[in-house]
Amino acid sequence: MSVVGKQLNPVQSSGAGAVTTSSSATAGSSSSGSGVEANSGSGGSSGAAAASGGASGDAKRPAETSSVTPDEVLHLTKITDDYLCSANANVFEIDFTRFKIRDLESGAVLFEIAKPPSEQYPEGLSSDETMLAAAEKLSLDDTADPNAGRYVRYQFTPAFLNLKTVGATVEFTVGSQPLNNFRMIERHFFRDRLLKTFDFEFGFCFPFSKNTVEHIYEFPNLPPDLVAEMISSPFETRSDSFYFVGNRLVMHNKADYAYDGGNIV
Amino acid sequence: MGFLTVLKKMRQKEKEMRILLLGLDNAGKTTILKRFNGEPIDTISPTLGFNIKTLEHNGYTLNMWDVGGQKSLRSYWRNYFECTDGLVWVVDSADRMRLESCGQELQVLLKEERLAGATLLVLCNKQDLPGALSSNEIKEILHLEDITTHHWLVAGVSAVTGEKLLSSMDWLIADIAKRIFTLD
Repeated sequence: MSVVGKQLNPVQSSGAGAVTTSSSATAGSSSSGSGVEANSGSGGSSGAAAASGGASGDAKRPAETSSVTPDEVLHLTKITDDYLCSANANVFEIDFTRFKIRDLESGAVLFEIAKPPSEQYPEGLSSDETMLAAAEKLSLDDTADPNAGRYVRYQFTPAFLNLKTVGATVEFTVGSQPLNNFRMIERHFFRDRLLKTFDFEFGFCFPFSKNTVEHIYEFPNLPPDLVAEMISSPFETRSDSFYFVGNRLVMHNKADYAYDGGNIV
Repeated sequence: MGFLTVLKKMRQKEKEMRILLLGLDNAGKTTILKRFNGEPIDTISPTLGFNIKTLEHNGYTLNMWDVGGQKSLRSYWRNYFECTDGLVWVVDSADRMRLESCGQELQVLLKEERLAGATLLVLCNKQDLPGALSSNEIKEILHLEDITTHHWLVAGVSAVTGEKLLSSMDWLIADIAKRIFTLD
């Protein structure tokens, strides 16, 4: 359920108190001001170039294909070290344009980040031009890292872990080709402990569509000592989001989470 | 039927239901979906794809699919029929001009094999608008009394005020539950 990093702008921050505006912990990156830091993730992506580039010399396996199956990622026991597909694997131009979390009890939007419409797939502009524009934007932000858009860092206050029912929305657009058997599998871990798995079959997505999905779920009932550990171990809570089209991995995004925002250190 | 039985048994375990919201454009499908899930309904634009909500309700996991209703999109509806347990047909009760085509589209869906097992809930939306036809009037115009192939209910609702929305959805869920989760 990750979203594109640097290209996202905050559109709203709430006063719900569960999310903090923070600029700590990541040297050299600026806070987005929304309580969400969307960084290019120099740490998390260091091995990815090697992982995806390794196939370049192999004629039978072009760099953009991946043999990872849904079943394999469902059986992972920890966060992956590397991205399991290259950034180029997204041949369907799936673009995540919004991410939102709300608290169902209070109705408060805890945060919402969205790509500005100007950076979304504009009508009448070819995808190449759009990508070029995005690339220029990225270079201006001096993120030469090809994995820049695949990693998001979130910072919450401890109150986030006390929420009961949460709705997590993603919005995505699809390019000129329809998607068949589009499936998302998301795995959340604290260290090597599995917290939650989402496995959702979107099925068919029609060309040039804009779609949303909101998962409304009860927050996992975590023991207090685990909660305390998660709060005192920022960014050791992490997630992998895998997106398959017809059982082929086309996107892999990563995120990490801290829950110590607002604490006096 | 073997495969279907297996599917149903699998879902019996998970207590999962798939509900599909369809109707002409501007009927209020997305507004109903959002109202049902406690989201603000002040900024809703035409759906050019789908909106999905997965949620727990009365002990069931509901997967609710709202697919765009514009004419050019209706040919895609069939991609979402598979495994549908409940069909919510949303009607703009104030759009008298298009009630005929609304009825025609519904008739097409009722003949659809993959929706044969689905419970039908017809929501006559926008009851808060002056000039809205009553659910009884819409029942006549859409010939709902002639439907023998599906369990059905018609209800006048307002996504804006929330009137009768929850009770109608509860009927749908209870009807589906009776039908699919007692299968053995």
